[in-house]
Amino acid sequence: MILPKFEFHEPTSISDACELMARHRGEARLLAGGTDLLVNMKKKVLNPKRLVSLGRIPELTQVERSNGTLWIGAGATVSAIAASAMVARDASALGLGARALGTPLIRNLATIGGNIGSARPAADLPPALIVYGAVLVLRSVAGERRLPIGEFFKGPGLTAAHEDELIAAVVIQVPAGYAGAGYLNLGVRKAQDCNIVNVASYLELDGRAEVIRAARVALGSVGPTPLRSPSAEAVLIGQKPTEALFDLAADAAQRDCMPILDFRGSAEYRRDMVGVLARRTLTMALAEARSRN
Amino acid sequence: MKQLIRLTVNDREYEVGVDPNTTLVDLLRGHLGLTGTKKGCDLGDCGACTVLLDGKAVNSCLVLAVQAGDRTVQTIEGLETAQGLHPLQQAFIEKGAIQCGFCSSGMILSAKELLDRSPHPAEPEIRRAISGNLCRCTGYQKIIEAIKDAAR
Amino acid sequence: MSDYQVINSRLPRLDAPAKATGRAVFIDDMSFPGMLHAALLQSPLPHAHIVRIDTSKAERLPGVKAVITAKDAGLVRYGVSPARYDETVFCHDRVRYVGDEIAAVAAVDAETAEEAVGLIQVDYEELPAVLTIEAAMAEGAPQLHVEFPRNLSAEVHQEFGNAADALKASDLVKTTTFKNKRQDGAFLEPPGCIAVFDLDGRLTLHSSTQAPHYVQRTVAMVLGLPVGKVRVVKPYVGGGFGIKAAANTGELAACLLARKTGKPVKFNYSREQVFMLCRARHQFVHRMTTGVKKDGTLLALQHECYLDGGAYSSFGIATVYYAGSLLGGPYKLPNMKYDGWRVYTNKPTCGAQRGHGGVAARAAWEQQLDMIAEELGMDPIDLRLKNMMQAGDVTCNDLNMSSLGMRECIEAVRNSSDWASKKGRLPKGKGIGMACGFFVSGAGYPIYRSDTYHCTATVKLAEDGGTVQVYSASAEIGQGSDTAFGMIAAETLGVPLDSVRVMSGDTDFGVDLGAYSSRQTLMTGHAVKEAAEAAKRQVLDALAEELKVPAADMDIREGRIVFKNGPVDFSGIRNRYIKEHRGWSDSPQEDFLTFREASRIAYLAKGTIVGTGKYKPPLLGGKFKGAAVGTSPAYGCSAQVVEVDVDLETGRIVIEKMTDAHDCGRAINRTSVEAQMEGSLAMGMGEALFEEVKFDDRGRVINCDLAEYKLVTALDMPPVEAIIVESDEPNGPFGAKEVGEGAIMPTIPAILNAVYDATGLRIHELPLTSERVQAALKAARAKK
Repeated sequence: MILPKFEFHEPTSISDACELMARHRGEARLLAGGTDLLVNMKKKVLNPKRLVSLGRIPELTQVERSNGTLWIGAGATVSAIAASAMVARDASALGLGARALGTPLIRNLATIGGNIGSARPAADLPPALIVYGAVLVLRSVAGERRLPIGEFFKGPGLTAAHEDELIAAVVIQVPAGYAGAGYLNLGVRKAQDCNIVNVASYLELDGRAEVIRAARVALGSVGPTPLRSPSAEAVLIGQKPTEALFDLAADAAQRDCMPILDFRGSAEYRRDMVGVLARRTLTMALAEARSRN
Repeated sequence: MKQLIRLTVNDREYEVGVDPNTTLVDLLRGHLGLTGTKKGCDLGDCGACTVLLDGKAVNSCLVLAVQAGDRTVQTIEGLETAQGLHPLQQAFIEKGAIQCGFCSSGMILSAKELLDRSPHPAEPEIRRAISGNLCRCTGYQKIIEAIKDAAR
Repeated sequence: MSDYQVINSRLPRLDAPAKATGRAVFIDDMSFPGMLHAALLQSPLPHAHIVRIDTSKAERLPGVKAVITAKDAGLVRYGVSPARYDETVFCHDRVRYVGDEIAAVAAVDAETAEEAVGLIQVDYEELPAVLTIEAAMAEGAPQLHVEFPRNLSAEVHQEFGNAADALKASDLVKTTTFKNKRQDGAFLEPPGCIAVFDLDGRLTLHSSTQAPHYVQRTVAMVLGLPVGKVRVVKPYVGGGFGIKAAANTGELAACLLARKTGKPVKFNYSREQVFMLCRARHQFVHRMTTGVKKDGTLLALQHECYLDGGAYSSFGIATVYYAGSLLGGPYKLPNMKYDGWRVYTNKPTCGAQRGHGGVAARAAWEQQLDMIAEELGMDPIDLRLKNMMQAGDVTCNDLNMSSLGMRECIEAVRNSSDWASKKGRLPKGKGIGMACGFFVSGAGYPIYRSDTYHCTATVKLAEDGGTVQVYSASAEIGQGSDTAFGMIAAETLGVPLDSVRVMSGDTDFGVDLGAYSSRQTLMTGHAVKEAAEAAKRQVLDALAEELKVPAADMDIREGRIVFKNGPVDFSGIRNRYIKEHRGWSDSPQEDFLTFREASRIAYLAKGTIVGTGKYKPPLLGGKFKGAAVGTSPAYGCSAQVVEVDVDLETGRIVIEKMTDAHDCGRAINRTSVEAQMEGSLAMGMGEALFEEVKFDDRGRVINCDLAEYKLVTALDMPPVEAIIVESDEPNGPFGAKEVGEGAIMPTIPAILNAVYDATGLRIHELPLTSERVQAALKAARAKK
């Protein structure tokens, strides 16, 4: 398969990249890991005139923790996130999402910024990022702005980023004690799958009293974007975590999803699985919350 | 417009002019004559084109040749040394891990990345490491045995 | 331990070093000076009249060297079975599926060729399409081929004994229906080829094929060339599984373009085009009614089957016959009635794939047998053992089980899997299941009617005596046949494997029908053995003359001449050998006469020592229509146990362990036999759980890549225990028979039976995706 022709740019700083995106507004696309973009270009789904590669910008690949904040450069590869002990400790559900994504070969190329920016409804990283309340650092020649990830996705392949804007980093507040999260995905086989359903849940307990202070449930692959489940969250908040409560939350999550039928799965199955995965990820979140005190 | 890039492939430096839309797999196979890297799907789905890019196993059909500029690439041809075959190559031969051989180059390189970072992996780790390399012939059984053997 | 010196061992494959180091040359690794690249124009519509084809724009594109359509290619009809030659290289009046070929371009590079294809203008008049068996068979349905009415590509009606009466006499009668899904071969290497004409008009086609002989004949016929002017050479091939067993349009187009341009022309199928080429496993819909006595004795099987064939016939006639005939064994079944229909639809053409025609049928029936066993209160293994044939038994449809290690296979998997302590005793969600199966060791007859030998082989000794060269036109496609033939030649001649060189896959080396129907080990193996015996005889005869020792008093073992009646003075031969190789540093020093010296002496006496061998099966099978399909000189058989874990909420099946025993007669290479078993299981597991080619309502394949067409990955595949059973097949070389396809037979039903054990659910449609299983679990819960 032959890639269509394009002009190629490889800036070495974020500001140069922003400059290029501004100059070629409308005809340039950002190339991160390329695992989505190049495939779509080979399939002639996309045909950008220019590619601006983010592969040689060292400042994009930082992963660090300071003052209770996890800063993940948008250029960090998914395999780096999957292997990061810091992510495993502070944002385990994100680590699980990274481990679930694609294949080892894809993970070595794909970046967190690309996984967010391509805005695929079934993407593995957004649900966890949503439940952690991650904030995206967006850069353009106009400067920097911060946007909660929940406000970023607008539809399949559509985002709130301006044409000349790039994701520079993802910022996560490290969850406090008695907080935990879980992530599960369901596809057809155990690797290299487009998810049929993927769900992340987050619970924050009120210390040893074990009342749920905060709850967030995010559903992937069951709507045009990853979705929050306000109904499930409303069921959970202020209650003591029990199996029965999680069942109620799972039912509520099913009501909040908007699955469609496609060749990968029926709407009915997806809705059913939202319930199963919501309950299971809540159980994971509870276990982690109890262990983090 | 062709761009001039320098890259190191199997310890040898190359300076080549490439079109931006040339992928690394096509550079290796077409321009450099390194046909040991196979092309099974050209969409990053099968793993036959796996090479090590700065030590990381990647689908070379999803990397632009220009992106490999100033980097180090290792292909199947680069595994042999003056001392002979790499232990993984030897184990693949002895354990019957090779049938049609079309996935073998990529499979061996994914296994090499694994052994380079985890010299004595457990079986689940091995299975995970090669889960992006499809094989239609072997059922993976003898491939896994070979990787275990090479890690011994 | 066996008495064999070479075979029955675990010697590494001859081609493994080349493949482990990237040296092995596959078709896309080859190029020729001045080589052009071809691209195909394929129909975007499932069914349409072609009103007009305008190639002028494409021809004017710089870099384009030739554009050809049916005008250039002609309308020679070809296919696989001469009775159904229903294809032409290019469509001239009508396209019948999305992907049907209309034109081809040769250009200086692939990019230009593809661009030119985009410039060819075709005006279509769209016709209504039929995309399912039901639609194709409906009253008034649009017809694909005027000469094959009712969209019937083939139908079969056979009865052995009297099934209806036997069902009436049965204590228990069970009817079930079963459906699999269309497969894709999904070999890792997409097919490709390079056609080269020399100045004398002789054509050499280098192609990624598993049947050089059939490709040679088809190419010769379509291009109007004598067979002797067409040579087909197979480089290393990255898997075939049946799909590469016939000439494809890419090959024919490349040959035509090479003739037109006078340049070598290369064509490669893209992964998407592999799905449009298809030629893989059909979708089968089976309806089976089985009757048994109370004690489990099988009395009758009444079987109907519908096959979704796609737009052309390919191997389809054989497929529809196999779907019935391969249920004749391995159980004693006195009455069998079979009605099969293969139906044309406006989709890519299905053909042969590992376990040709028999896989879905076997799955359907072995699941049904388990259901019967349960109703009779029998252990499924006991039911099978009760009805099992023995070596020498002949099925009701005249298949002769000349060897049958079925019982041994069952015992082996029962013991190894610890069946007795698991069956029916595992917690809910966990299950264990078993099944059996058998398959031909080579089709009894060639695909075209002929008295041809199925294979010939030549063994030639190098003039220095050191190297044995084995030539055949057989096809090494990854299964390890070259190594098997090297081992057979080495064993026969009495030399070590490392003094044998195997050359194959070239029609100049002889006739060989190729790698399909699991035929090569038995058939080509026979030919190689005979050729090696002939060479050996000549060496010993020459030696007898030279040493004045009767040939019968000598033998060759492990590269040395054995004198059966005590030492013989061979110093004359040694002195001569050394004298003739003055300057060499490896003169024979051994205290015995080496094969090298002996065969040098033979060369000096007689010229090049060449042994030839050939094989064709004796007349096999009955006299009824279609009796040929299913016949074979021998049958391999196997039993499998599968253990599963089913997630009762998501429906997800995880296969935890597979235990497989296969009777391969005699293992030529034990590692290769296991490797075939393990590979078969993986393919069967993929078909059982994941694989399905899906279409939209416009006849386009939706999942035409390896991301969405799901093969098992290393994470899905469980550990496999492969147990070799050896029954010493009387019709096989050294007792050997098949393993390449038979091993897939029990996989799907063993999984189905294990899923039942885990869930209490019988599912009669593949694949067993999480969604299908969960839906069944949900429906069962709703019923309660």
